[in-house]
Amino acid sequence: MSIAAHTIDATHFTPTALPVRTPRNRRIAKAEWTKLRTLPSTWRTVVMATVISVGLGAILCVSQVQQWSKMTAGQRQTFDPTACSLFGIVFVGAVVLAALGVRAMTAEYATGMIRSTFAATPTRRRVLAAKAGVIAAFVFPVALLTAVISFEVGQLIFTGKHLEVTFAHPGVLQAVVFGALAVSLIALLGVGLGGLIRHTAAATTALVMVIVGGVTLGQLLPAGLRQYVPGTALQAAVTVNHSAGLLRPGTAIVVLGVYAAIALAAASFRISHRDA
Amino acid sequence: MIEANHLTKRYGKTVAVDEVSFTVLPGQVTGFLGPNGAGKSTTMRMILGLDTPTSGEVRVDGKPYRQLADPLRSVGALLDAKAIVGGRSAANHLMWLADSNGIPRRRVAEVLDIVGLSDVAGKRVGTFSLGMNQRLGIAGALLGDPETVMFDEPINGLDPEGILWIRNLMKSLASQGRTVFLSSHLMSEMAQTADHLIVIGRGRIIADAGTEEFINRHTAASVRVRAVEQTDLAETLTQRGALIECASDGAMVVTGMDSITIGAAARSHDITLVELSQLGSSLEEAYFDLTKDQTEYHAGQLVDATKGA
Repeated sequence: MSIAAHTIDATHFTPTALPVRTPRNRRIAKAEWTKLRTLPSTWRTVVMATVISVGLGAILCVSQVQQWSKMTAGQRQTFDPTACSLFGIVFVGAVVLAALGVRAMTAEYATGMIRSTFAATPTRRRVLAAKAGVIAAFVFPVALLTAVISFEVGQLIFTGKHLEVTFAHPGVLQAVVFGALAVSLIALLGVGLGGLIRHTAAATTALVMVIVGGVTLGQLLPAGLRQYVPGTALQAAVTVNHSAGLLRPGTAIVVLGVYAAIALAAASFRISHRDA
Repeated sequence: MIEANHLTKRYGKTVAVDEVSFTVLPGQVTGFLGPNGAGKSTTMRMILGLDTPTSGEVRVDGKPYRQLADPLRSVGALLDAKAIVGGRSAANHLMWLADSNGIPRRRVAEVLDIVGLSDVAGKRVGTFSLGMNQRLGIAGALLGDPETVMFDEPINGLDPEGILWIRNLMKSLASQGRTVFLSSHLMSEMAQTADHLIVIGRGRIIADAGTEEFINRHTAASVRVRAVEQTDLAETLTQRGALIECASDGAMVVTGMDSITIGAAARSHDITLVELSQLGSSLEEAYFDLTKDQTEYHAGQLVDATKGA
């Protein structure tokens, strides 16, 4: 690096040499998208989420097929091949992909880069909104693709017992789309938790507690309330055959949306009212 | 231009920045000097709208920072070179910054060239040395071609070549008419780089003056003198109001009197001088004295004395 040479011709640019006028919200979103896609860990997470989700879904489907002969008539009646094949993506894939949302916030707080972000965009609510929007827009297609693969793999496994369903069956398409939607909402919950807690490990733990731990702790709640626990609502979102103790899929999506909104609103308040 | 007006930041009972008022003018390098913990970084964070002042205000180009439309086009700042997510490449880091303020992406390559990082543009930032991170941070500050640049301790962790580079860069930015504001806790470095000094200690401004003026005012001149009739000379000079200390080698160090007066006094008393030399007290010493215990000084008085500067 030749130092002196750079210094001389270094700064010969004029302030007028910079045009480009795009609406501010689009610029902020573009910056957040650039951040997300230029981190190699983003793509590793996507691959990991897909592999784990499809794999776990397949394992559950195989175990259902093996247990089929031992099931009661009632159990066979309520068996939901769609929900079963989507178990991996809505339960574990959601947590893995939501970690992207968590890290979108916490990685910047952990390093202090959040100050560069807020210096570049002083309207912090817009930064949070842009992060949330970009995460949701990124996670949704990933989750949808993973859900479709999981569904197809699961149905392939079910053909042995002739249990398979297709997209032509009523409710199946909705379940797959709702599955991806639910995962996106959990990713938004991750953004909110990341903005509130600011430490990667702590915020990720909180997320896992809310999703996985919540289901266990939900057993202590009265049956009427239990169905509103985030993890249970996730399961409900992908059901085709309605089962007792679970919300209707549409209601489940609304409930998950409320959780995400609360977390984001709290994070927004904290971000705007505290020094960076 | 940066204007701080009674800027104050309190954390509970601790006052980090206390009623600070100053103006940083374009076309010169202004050094923000003070010991660690004096309030430099807090002040800079308030300038950038990152910390909210408890009271008072600070404006950049006449506006509070948060009201600037595209801040990076007005103010480029480097606060902490290590505050960067390590997984991205240098070019990609600058790219999101450019995107956030609608700066064309071709500027990324330009600023990487300015700071001499073109060769490592595609390398992960996490693998960078502190010096390389400093350069990347400076590239980020220059990205929007801003009128005002601000750097917090930019020479920390740099090798001598890097220090020289920064010094020249600051001077060239100022010569283009930009406002250049940089903090340091090193007096000697500031003396060589800055045209103007704002000295802060314990959250208060204790000096605000041109560098040369500051040096002249705060480096008390003393004279080293030795005579054949040493005792007579000491007596004579003391009578005339000089302060005398004895150096270990037998010479006297005289303060409060210049060498011409001493020479004339010696001649009028027929004293033979063996040695007569002007000593400049070190600027570093002066700065240390000024900031070591700020409560010993009446800040208001010093600020008043420098208001005309």
